[in-house]
Amino acid sequence: MIAYVIRRLLHTVLVVLGISLIVFFSIRLTGDPVSVMFAAGEPTKEAIAEVRSNLGLDEPLYVQYGIFLKGIFTFDFGKSFRSGMPVMELINERIGATLALALGGMAVAILIAFPVGILSAVKRDTAVDFFGRIFSLLGISFPNFWLGIMLILVFSVTLQWLPVSGFEGFKHLILPSITLGLILSGILARLVRSSMLEVMNQQYVSTAKSKGISEWKVIIKHAFRNALLPTVTFIGLQFGSLLGGTVIVEQIFSWPGVGRLIIDAINQRDYPVIQGGVIYLAIIMVLVNLIVDLSYTLIDPRVKVGGSKS
Amino acid sequence: MMKKWLSLISLIFSLMLVLAACSGGGEESSTNEKSDSRENPAKDRGNEIIIGVSGEPQNWDPIDTFLLDWSTIATSVFEGLVDRNLNLEIQPGLAESWEYLDDQTLQFKLRQGVQFHNGEPFNADAVKFTFDRLLGEEGQKGPQYSNYTSIDSVEVVDEYTATFHLNSPDPVLLTKLAGYGAVIVPPKYVQEHDDEFFNNNPVGTGPFKMTGYKRDQEIVLEKNPDYWKEGLPKLDKVTFKVIPEASTRLAELQTGNIDVMKRVEVAQAETVKNTSYLELIDVGTPTVYSLRFDPGQKLMDNKLVRQAINYAVDKQSIIDEILSGYGKQISTYQSELSFGNNPDLEPYPYDPEKAKELLAEAGVAEGTVLDVYIPGNDGNFKEITQAVAFYLEEVGLKMNINSVDNTTLISELIPNGKAGHMYRQGWGGWTLDFDNTAYLMYHEGEQWNPSFKDEKVEELLAAQRATVDQEERKKIFMELTELLYDLAPELNLYQAVDLYAANSRLENFQPPHDDRMRLEEVSVK
Amino acid sequence: MTSVGLEKAVPVNPPRRPHLKKLWRFIKKNPVGFIGLILVALSVSCALFAPFITPFDPSKASLSSRLAPPSWADPKGESAFLLGADQVGRDLLSRIIYGARISLMVGIFGVLIAMVIGTVLGLISGYFGKWLDDIIMRVADIQLAFPFILFAIVIMSVLGTGIWKIIIILGLTYWVGFARLIRGQVISLKEQEYIQAAKAIGGTNFNIIRKHILPNVLSSILVLGTMYIAEFILLEASLTFLGLGVDPTIPSWGGMLADSRNYITSAWWTAVFPGVAIMITVLGFNLLGDWLRDKLDPNMKV
Repeated sequence: MIAYVIRRLLHTVLVVLGISLIVFFSIRLTGDPVSVMFAAGEPTKEAIAEVRSNLGLDEPLYVQYGIFLKGIFTFDFGKSFRSGMPVMELINERIGATLALALGGMAVAILIAFPVGILSAVKRDTAVDFFGRIFSLLGISFPNFWLGIMLILVFSVTLQWLPVSGFEGFKHLILPSITLGLILSGILARLVRSSMLEVMNQQYVSTAKSKGISEWKVIIKHAFRNALLPTVTFIGLQFGSLLGGTVIVEQIFSWPGVGRLIIDAINQRDYPVIQGGVIYLAIIMVLVNLIVDLSYTLIDPRVKVGGSKS
Repeated sequence: MMKKWLSLISLIFSLMLVLAACSGGGEESSTNEKSDSRENPAKDRGNEIIIGVSGEPQNWDPIDTFLLDWSTIATSVFEGLVDRNLNLEIQPGLAESWEYLDDQTLQFKLRQGVQFHNGEPFNADAVKFTFDRLLGEEGQKGPQYSNYTSIDSVEVVDEYTATFHLNSPDPVLLTKLAGYGAVIVPPKYVQEHDDEFFNNNPVGTGPFKMTGYKRDQEIVLEKNPDYWKEGLPKLDKVTFKVIPEASTRLAELQTGNIDVMKRVEVAQAETVKNTSYLELIDVGTPTVYSLRFDPGQKLMDNKLVRQAINYAVDKQSIIDEILSGYGKQISTYQSELSFGNNPDLEPYPYDPEKAKELLAEAGVAEGTVLDVYIPGNDGNFKEITQAVAFYLEEVGLKMNINSVDNTTLISELIPNGKAGHMYRQGWGGWTLDFDNTAYLMYHEGEQWNPSFKDEKVEELLAAQRATVDQEERKKIFMELTELLYDLAPELNLYQAVDLYAANSRLENFQPPHDDRMRLEEVSVK
Repeated sequence: MTSVGLEKAVPVNPPRRPHLKKLWRFIKKNPVGFIGLILVALSVSCALFAPFITPFDPSKASLSSRLAPPSWADPKGESAFLLGADQVGRDLLSRIIYGARISLMVGIFGVLIAMVIGTVLGLISGYFGKWLDDIIMRVADIQLAFPFILFAIVIMSVLGTGIWKIIIILGLTYWVGFARLIRGQVISLKEQEYIQAAKAIGGTNFNIIRKHILPNVLSSILVLGTMYIAEFILLEASLTFLGLGVDPTIPSWGGMLADSRNYITSAWWTAVFPGVAIMITVLGFNLLGDWLRDKLDPNMKV
């Protein structure tokens, strides 16, 4: 077990190094932060050169990369070109909003997917199953920006039930969570349904049923438990990507999350923030995956950790 | 089962239609009547307003920024020695008067009894400190420094007199002193705190002081009770909310959560006009948009081809139809607000026959393909480009539109001459003087000029920089604009008109030409 | 929709033809798959027959008909366009019909690229294991942790823009899903007796993979591929939303939708109908994938 964890942590280091290399060199292919800064005003070539040297961009690439690499191990990614703030501080400022949105989205997804998935499985091949599946798939059939805009128009502008945007209170969390959650719920409901079906056809479930234990009890006790494992995997894997991959929802709902921080940094070619943000999210993602794998053993002791390496 | 599918399908469709109806219902009967006459949802807010903006600079230090987003908010916090009023005229700001002692010496008499928000007095020392900082090590890290390099030093004559010594005559110095980098900062405050602190907690002399700042969310300004203009500002509090997505901003406005919306899209103008408690206000800006030719490319090196394209496109129709009239034709690459604009030049008329003749004369084959680069994040300009393509097709030219990442376009493709035959560029010319635009666009070797070269243009550019006599400069600019008009280095499309929407409870809200909102006179009903 | 009407007649006239009866039984047993098939068939036929069924030239712009409302919703009754006209006066219906080509192209070719890369790497990774597996899976981790948008910007600034670049970007990003899925299956297949036996009698690795392993993972590939088609169609829209889409003359549904989002309160048809088109197609592929999974590979964890 410990050997496994150590091995995985070593892999994490490898992955982070790989990402650092790719991020570092690839963003330098896409344009120059200094000319972006001068997108108005009087960008004489001398002034541009001056600012570039002040930002340390005239150092040889390997020196710049060395500084970045050192930063990874000390969790100091330098200061943003744009705001002059330490990158870590910028991320920490926003991680709360990001977590709130990710958890909100997950909650909505679970609230929708579990009832729908369970009902679909129990009432397999009936109208309930049919509509349940279509309903859950409908959620992943819209581009999320469109869904977000529609939700705002209906629930905020026309009905005036919910606030439009911003990160202020619980009410503000509802619409973005629904936008995000609907997308996840489609896949999750499918997972729950099939995991439940897998067990429900098995001998011991029918045996339990024939012993007169109520159907729902059996379902909850056996089938539901079986559905938990893949669900936890899914949630874990999605959670990592949710932290950085909600840019569009954040943009539509003026949500001050890490995703928007990184996309703004990308648009400004704010190298330190891009580098720091990507590494930060990558580490979280890999660690979450590790935790997910480890938690298998807790939910289902039959699974040996060594077996699932990915 | 069959019935169920059918009902399901019809359910989906009716859902869509309901959504559509919800969103579009009001406009179908669009006449001049305001079709949405709900009660004003913002009427009880009291003596404060909330403004929805699309972005914020993330850094309030004036020497670190060139962003319009900075100026929209920071104009209420900081002030310069000279100021521009809403009509963009230069007027006294923190300086009461000034005079040129000679070509290279400019003396300011400062306003007395002015305080920074933290209680520090404003005086000549503060002026000297500001410019020492801007021109010193700290300023050189930022983009503002290079605008002010003509200033050699600032001398404190007495507490309320400061003299600027220049190292060369600078005809646009005064307008530059009304710019972002030249606003006066409090010396003690800046020295006592570190850089980071000042970035987040700006202090100036303006009508409002910043009392709250949540990055990328909101900025809270409160009335500066000691403001030097008698009786101003009228509002107690102004909150700026950062709402990047235009459709979200409009929704916030419709529901009364914000009182002013900056950057109303042309597509949204109708909706604002149709809402009883909203007002749409348009204002001309110094920003012009053109499809600039890269004369380094084959075909584009031929003046006749460039002129032909200018004749081929019906710019007025584009402005009327796609911009709903919110735009103005331009004859050169500058707006009517710019010093150096030539009012006698008529924009190239729409004359497809003439265009065809010129193309024939230049020997351009029918069906020749031109590569055009535009930013992928500007929906409106995509429409305009397609309209241009439509007009060019009428004269036998085909356009191959490349929609690319905006940052890549401005920082990589344009400077390196890799943006095809034509590319979109918008330019404001922050000094409101054609010097800025013309020098950067036509002087050989500049960042934004991959390949344009003309001896005569260079001569005129140098000549207007050598004198501070504004009449003389104007004459040079008239000659320059006529020359550029003939050389046609770009397909000049329009001067942008900005749209603002305001809740009707506001009084005296006048949107700025230059994004710098001036709020001290604004009040609520 | 005509096909639905046709089917409806079936139960009324007792089927004399056996294949119709079979069809009806199929529908009754697999309503989800059937709807999926119908919806997908709808967009596929739009793509195939676009030139024959579009009422107007989809690229014919005309400023005078800019934002003309749908003919049935036009109070003045002047509009000639069934679903209205777009921002430069092109017929929306024609563009939506042609748009099926773009969306299907993005979906299908993007998935093909991802599928080929992912399958090859997944097979290698799972079959050979050891350091090859380690390397491939670490590369997969890196790919997953790298922000998609940044990846898109990088690829576009190296290769340029256009519909094929988007297809390449999607393919190069989403191979990981295939690789992981197949690797997992290969690892458990490898232990099966018949494969061990094939090895024992000296079958080459290539032949074992080709004859015994690949056929067993095909169904999963097919299922995942179908679902990814749906996702790719949506991702194309997201890219346009972020300013990284195809050029506006190309009638892509995603592009139409993203570029008309501000018109939603003034010219709703420009923002609603492309959305409906995307929804129908994406839902179709999702239903189809869901059904295929039920049929072919009910225990698959996607």
